[in-house]
Amino acid sequence: MASIDLDKMLEKIKNSQWALADIDWEAPGVELITPEQWPELKAFMADLMWIEHIGARGFAAMAKKAPNDTLKQIYTYFHAEEQRHANAEMALMKRWGMLDGDEMPRPNPNLLFAIEWLDRYSDDMPLEALGTVIPMLEIALDGALCKFLLDTVHDPVCHLVFEKINDDESRHLGVGFHVMELQGHGNVYRNILKMLATMIDPRLLLGVAAYFPLLNRMRDNIVRMGLKEESLYDAMEKFRKIGGRTAQGRRNPWYQFISRHGLWVMNRRNRLYHVPVDAAVRASDYIPAALLPSTPSWVNEITWRPEA
Amino acid sequence: MSIRAVNGIKKMKSVTSAKKAATPAMPAPSSVLIIGAGFAGLGAAIRLQQQGINDVVILERAADVGGTWRDNSYPGAACDIPSNLYSYSFAQNPEWSRGFSGSREILAYIHHLVNGFGLEPLIRFGTNVTGITFDEDAGIWTASTGSGESHRAQAVIMASGPLSNASFPDMPGIDTFEGHKIHSAKWDHDYDFRGKRVAVIGTGASGVQIIPELVKQAQFVKVFQRTPGWVLPRPDYRSPEWQKTLFRRVPAAQTALRKVLFYGHESMALGIIWHSPLTALVERVSRAHLRHQVKDGWMRRQLTPDFRIGCKRVLMSSDYYPALQKDNCKLVTWPIATLSPKGIRSAEGIEHQVDCIVFATGFDVCKSGTPFPVTGIGGRQLDKEWSRGSQAYKSINVTGYPNLYFTFGPNSGPGHNSALVYMESQIDYAVQGIRLLLDQNLKSLDVKPEVQQRHNEEMQKRLARTNWNSGCKSWYLTEDGYNATMYPGFATQYAKQMQHFELKDYRVVEA
Repeated sequence: MASIDLDKMLEKIKNSQWALADIDWEAPGVELITPEQWPELKAFMADLMWIEHIGARGFAAMAKKAPNDTLKQIYTYFHAEEQRHANAEMALMKRWGMLDGDEMPRPNPNLLFAIEWLDRYSDDMPLEALGTVIPMLEIALDGALCKFLLDTVHDPVCHLVFEKINDDESRHLGVGFHVMELQGHGNVYRNILKMLATMIDPRLLLGVAAYFPLLNRMRDNIVRMGLKEESLYDAMEKFRKIGGRTAQGRRNPWYQFISRHGLWVMNRRNRLYHVPVDAAVRASDYIPAALLPSTPSWVNEITWRPEA
Repeated sequence: MSIRAVNGIKKMKSVTSAKKAATPAMPAPSSVLIIGAGFAGLGAAIRLQQQGINDVVILERAADVGGTWRDNSYPGAACDIPSNLYSYSFAQNPEWSRGFSGSREILAYIHHLVNGFGLEPLIRFGTNVTGITFDEDAGIWTASTGSGESHRAQAVIMASGPLSNASFPDMPGIDTFEGHKIHSAKWDHDYDFRGKRVAVIGTGASGVQIIPELVKQAQFVKVFQRTPGWVLPRPDYRSPEWQKTLFRRVPAAQTALRKVLFYGHESMALGIIWHSPLTALVERVSRAHLRHQVKDGWMRRQLTPDFRIGCKRVLMSSDYYPALQKDNCKLVTWPIATLSPKGIRSAEGIEHQVDCIVFATGFDVCKSGTPFPVTGIGGRQLDKEWSRGSQAYKSINVTGYPNLYFTFGPNSGPGHNSALVYMESQIDYAVQGIRLLLDQNLKSLDVKPEVQQRHNEEMQKRLARTNWNSGCKSWYLTEDGYNATMYPGFATQYAKQMQHFELKDYRVVEA
């Protein structure tokens, strides 16, 4: 992948801003949502919105770790842009009558654990870890989900919104892969040792415990919606291919670990991985609401209203 | 208010300046021309008078004195250095009503300086200087003004202030906003904030003072923050009557308090200017202040700076954090995408609709230019010489521009102590130079280029080790990261540097 001039990218980001007010949320097309797809679409959109929202928090943590001011500013914008995507998706839900008044859709337990982990520990994680996980989530979940949505939903407003979202995401991925390659610099053994040291950090282990079941639950939800499992795996494969396109990218041990994990997720026959993780997903449904983590205040930033 | 004059400099006989023969059409040159009637200009005039130099003209572009304190009259405007230190040692005021006085009281103090020292006849109000030029043959500076009239003098003191020009920032869509716009340095006192939705852009020194006051008045206030600053509590208090009486009757008591405050602030330099164990301690105090006042973890995170304390100006406020948490206030940390006809669109895609935007975005600081053309020996232009960052000798003189004295010139900014302490040193240095010029009937005193160069090399070497140059972006630095603003040392060191006018450092031209 060609190297990116981050200063030019920052300028491009600043010049590509859009707002919810740019979209006519009352435009015709609502009727194109069929009653059959409505309930599943509601659950799907809620998950998608939350994924964007927690992705946003990941970028906020990365902004704190950025090695220079330009990258810090870029991540600050990406944080806001992911929030914008979540807001726009919530506005679509509002348009499709999927919100009970102003009520925010309740996140599933695995999302709650991911939110809790991000809030508590993400600021302490090294940029290398977040800088690899976030592009993976973006390409796998965001990418696959958005494509599926556009294939099945024919509301033109939805297409308009996701055209804008995809434009933003392409910049996120461009910077994401660029940074992953930069992190492939330096002594391989030292990078591996640093990664191993991070991996035995209990805070990271807790993050893994939140991340693995979240990924499997999303897979299950998507499949329930009618998305072919393969399209999720295609997206993960895309991550593996683009991230490993250059020798420098392949030297990034975090890339190696995350893409290998992608292979485990893709391989349904990997019982060693899927049996405990699927069990964790099922178990999380039985956790009493009172024991689930409460949401931090940044969660309340999400809104479907174009004006405030 | 009664201001006690303390003659730090022994009063000398009045000087009948050695004026050059003027051309018949031109009025005779004055001894000294002072540009600006703010703290620095008025202080300089007082010290010149105390030295017997009465032939002084002060050019002031506005209709009133006061400079920064005349312009910055926004609600909550106050000094963040204790008033007993933020005043002249030679004109102490026993009547300060608070530990940290507001802008009105500071402006009143400035007015009393004018009245107490009879400065009004020296001031030409409404005189906007458009350029100054040095005539090498005559040894005379000529100041041209907006009205077409010119003023001539043997020496010029530039007291136009580093924070005297403010304009709306260059933000996308700023001209499309249909609501009311107010700049903190040009406050609109006629605008009624009651029942209004207000956005404040900027959370620097002005912002943290304005926001608590606006929250008391407006219907809703949205605070747009780009970078959070380090905030320390401001231990403000109402001055008890016994203290005022004591200071009136025993001036030495006020001088003693001033000394205590001075050395207290000097000790802060160890934490704020340089990276030392005290830096971590001061940061810890600031974090504890934040933790004590803000209970929500996310909000605390948004308000926690990620640069070393001292790198940017340290903010002093005890009511900023509580104001942000009021029901009618919201902190917005998303980057601003554009201003729109109805408000501010931030990058999370929401349009924040407001009736009024307050720009607490600071000043247009001249770090690489001059407020107006300054032409020296051989037609040299100071803004060209300073295009890559300004530099001077001891912050006050520039080679090629004889008899010209800068107050708050390059590398004179304090980060930890009262600006007026530095100002006094500059004024007294300028007075020494001007005295020499007049007493010895000299044509010019021009600092030697090699002396200036040596001084600046030393400055930049010392600055490289300070917190200001530790990596954050601030108004102290040029775009290239050159620090032409701050003085890398204690106020005591600065005062020592300015104590003696070393004639050997100057090229002396006799009349």
